Amino acid sequence: MKRLTLCVLGPALACLSGCAAPSTDSEFFGKVEPPEGQVLRYISGSEPSTLDPQVGTGQPEARIHMTLFEGLTEYHPKTTQPIPAIAERWDVNDDSSEFVFHLRSTARWSTGDPITAHDFVYSLRRGLDPALAAQNAYMAYYILHAQGYNEGGVFVRDSRTRAFVLQEDVSGDSELRLVLPGSEAAREKQIAEDPKLRAAVAGKELVPIRAEDIGVEALDDHTLRITLTQPAPFFVGMMAHHFFMAVPRAAIEKYGVRWTQPDHIITSGAFTLKEWRPYDRIVVARNPLYWDAAAVRLDEIRFYPLEDQTTMMNLYKAGAVDATYNHTVPASWLPIIKRMKDYMDAPEIAIEYYMFNTTKPPMNDKRVRKAFNMAVDKEALARFRVVAKPLTAFTPEGIFPGYPQPQGDPFNVARARELLAEAGFRDGSGQYDPGTFPARDVELLYNTSESNRQVAEFVQAQWKQNLGITVPLRNMEFRTFLVARANLEYKGVARAGWIGDYIDPYTFLDIFSTPTGNNGTGWWDPAYVRMLEQANRTLDPGQRYELLAKAEAYLLDVQPMLPLLTRSTDWMKKPYVKGMYPNPGTMHPWKFVYIEHDPAKWDSGMPDSRP
Amino acid sequence: MFRFIVRRLLVTIPMVLVVLTLTWSLIRLAPGNFYSGERALPAGIERNIREKYGLDRPWYVQYGKMIGNTARGDFGTSLRYEGQTVNEILGRTIPVSAAIGIMAYALALVVGVTAGTIAAVRQNSRFDYGSMTFAMLGISMPNFVLGPLLVLLFSLTLYWFPPARWDGVPSRSMVLPVLTLSAIYMAYIARLARAGMLEVLRSDYIRTARAKGLDERHIVIRHAMRGGLLPVLSFSGPALAILVTGTVVVERIFALPGVGNYFINANLNRDEPLVLGIVAFISVVILCFNLLVDVAYGFIDPRVRY
Repeated sequence: MKRLTLCVLGPALACLSGCAAPSTDSEFFGKVEPPEGQVLRYISGSEPSTLDPQVGTGQPEARIHMTLFEGLTEYHPKTTQPIPAIAERWDVNDDSSEFVFHLRSTARWSTGDPITAHDFVYSLRRGLDPALAAQNAYMAYYILHAQGYNEGGVFVRDSRTRAFVLQEDVSGDSELRLVLPGSEAAREKQIAEDPKLRAAVAGKELVPIRAEDIGVEALDDHTLRITLTQPAPFFVGMMAHHFFMAVPRAAIEKYGVRWTQPDHIITSGAFTLKEWRPYDRIVVARNPLYWDAAAVRLDEIRFYPLEDQTTMMNLYKAGAVDATYNHTVPASWLPIIKRMKDYMDAPEIAIEYYMFNTTKPPMNDKRVRKAFNMAVDKEALARFRVVAKPLTAFTPEGIFPGYPQPQGDPFNVARARELLAEAGFRDGSGQYDPGTFPARDVELLYNTSESNRQVAEFVQAQWKQNLGITVPLRNMEFRTFLVARANLEYKGVARAGWIGDYIDPYTFLDIFSTPTGNNGTGWWDPAYVRMLEQANRTLDPGQRYELLAKAEAYLLDVQPMLPLLTRSTDWMKKPYVKGMYPNPGTMHPWKFVYIEHDPAKWDSGMPDSRP
Repeated sequence: MFRFIVRRLLVTIPMVLVVLTLTWSLIRLAPGNFYSGERALPAGIERNIREKYGLDRPWYVQYGKMIGNTARGDFGTSLRYEGQTVNEILGRTIPVSAAIGIMAYALALVVGVTAGTIAAVRQNSRFDYGSMTFAMLGISMPNFVLGPLLVLLFSLTLYWFPPARWDGVPSRSMVLPVLTLSAIYMAYIARLARAGMLEVLRSDYIRTARAKGLDERHIVIRHAMRGGLLPVLSFSGPALAILVTGTVVVERIFALPGVGNYFINANLNRDEPLVLGIVAFISVVILCFNLLVDVAYGFIDPRVRY
């Protein structure tokens, strides 16, 4: 019997173990056979929630929106900086608060109709319509009265003189119109709390903010003016985001929410929708009417929505797909795959950090926060994580060319212990004594995931080893965790991550500009907000970066968070896929991508991402 | 029999209602909501979303609407997949899960019953030990281990079958998911069939049949299998229901657009209408398959009368 089992199982297991040992001498991972013609097969991540670029929120959606629709600008394939798209050029006023975009006359919808400035006016008004309830609408809040309209707010007007009450009539020096909440209860509460406001609005009429009040206007068919509420030099960079893409009024008004179905959709981008089988594939085909159709090399892109990393790698290895999106290589495969020439490893516009709950002791003491930060060896953490670079500042390193990034406190155990002693955790002789630290008031909260657990355990071990403090770990299901964190219900430390919306340090520094929202730490300082505002009012880009760096240094000194890592792009592409670069957002303008059939021209490593 | 079936079908309605109410309450009690993400939403946008989906209405209004819609067989629109109705999603995913599930079960049934019966007839033979060892292996090996092993062998080494993704029925993409899914059921059925057959083969009426001089083949197929396979039949109802309604692990490993894949994501995304639609579907299928098994008993087992 024993012999029989061995006869059957022996060869099978030997074969499987043989297969499992990855071959370490090959340059690329798995089959390298380009598909016939110009067809790209791409793993795009989770199933997109929608193909409507103004409603979709995730990165998997964004990459598909970029095939079908286009905005005023688009991303540079190497740097993700804005380059002309439907707008061929733009003018900016002196304080970066007004932008005039000149649209190219050759831009057309997939029906052949011209894309005009009126289409962009329609698109922005629709994106901000409260009835659409777009989650990304906040991105357009820089535009004049966009927030007021989106939130259903009202202006206040003197019915006799028809003059609107201005913000400067109540407080501050802004000449913008005063906006009050649309809901009566909220408005009454605000008025009751502020005597000056009460006096200013007494006897005046309330006028609902209309779509026409938003600071977006078509000067003629090919000129679009956008007026902002504040200086925002990074605004052109935001225009490449899918929320600002041109959407087709004709299809939307005819088909409602079903306008993105293959039979109904009208597109403004380089591709049209050919087939959409949810959880299976989205196929887009070249749009012959696209203004730059001659430059588009791919005939077809097949997006495969997939979520299991091992499955993705199996498909990639078998040569069934040509490229994957970011963070797709399972951690346990990295030691082998990192050596392969088709592995794309570059800094990403994304960070991982821990928040401190600064409203509760002991983390309400800056010295304690600084000590906890200095007791973590981030170099070692980055080596342990493999797909990350160490982070001591708050903005990701190696992303913003010319930004004089400040450095946060270095790894320094002795100084960390001194700081804790200074904060009162010391014995009779004045030396640091871990026994006096209220460890029961601190825990490290993270949302359940294997990689989060690994990082948390690493940091926990560092604190234990370097400070003698054992901080308990606690994990929570993601959406439950978000509620606990937003309400500052965590004790001490909570995990956080951030992906930048555009290539500018402000997309990170802005997190702490409001007391609530994404902040999550309970720390908020008007001085910090003023520093950011001053930077954004500065015209000279170099000077502006210096002021932003000053604000970041201020933030790092207060230490409401513990920076951990800049993430790496961590994805794969076959050597024959060209025009696709490991850029900071893993956002590929698809018209530059193509399949190279001549092996002599294939990439033998990461393509050069220098512009 | 007819009255029995009608009575059982009527009982199904309150049972599904209870299941839906419990599910609805659990989704409501879980913290977080379908629109929350790493990025906090400004209060105004959150208000717009709640108004758009009627979440600002009192709970009893929302509950009443859910029950009313369910009664009409309309589960509404998914919260996660903009503009897609739950019925559309079910209509698209059920055929995939059902095709894989039914084929896996048919394979499990044919191989399992054959192996189990031969093992029982030739008890303590090499075949008996061999097949039961494999059955033990099948029961012990979870499908998240078996699936990747099959992929490694057949997709990444021999390049016979695609490692994942769905190309419809029939296609080579079905082979590995069906094999992975059927293994454990094959093993269970083989063991159940063997045990059932062993018991029956020792019973008096089989001894009588042998005494009458019937040939062994006739005894096994005509007389013994009818009683010996009753445990397999009892097992089949719930097993087939689980297979047909989608299996999360296998659908995920092989990236199949089936019910299981949607179900897990609907829960993680707090996509209430989709969760309720899938739960209702699974409840009805389980109740119906159990009813079918009970009805089948009436035909196979002469001791059962309705």
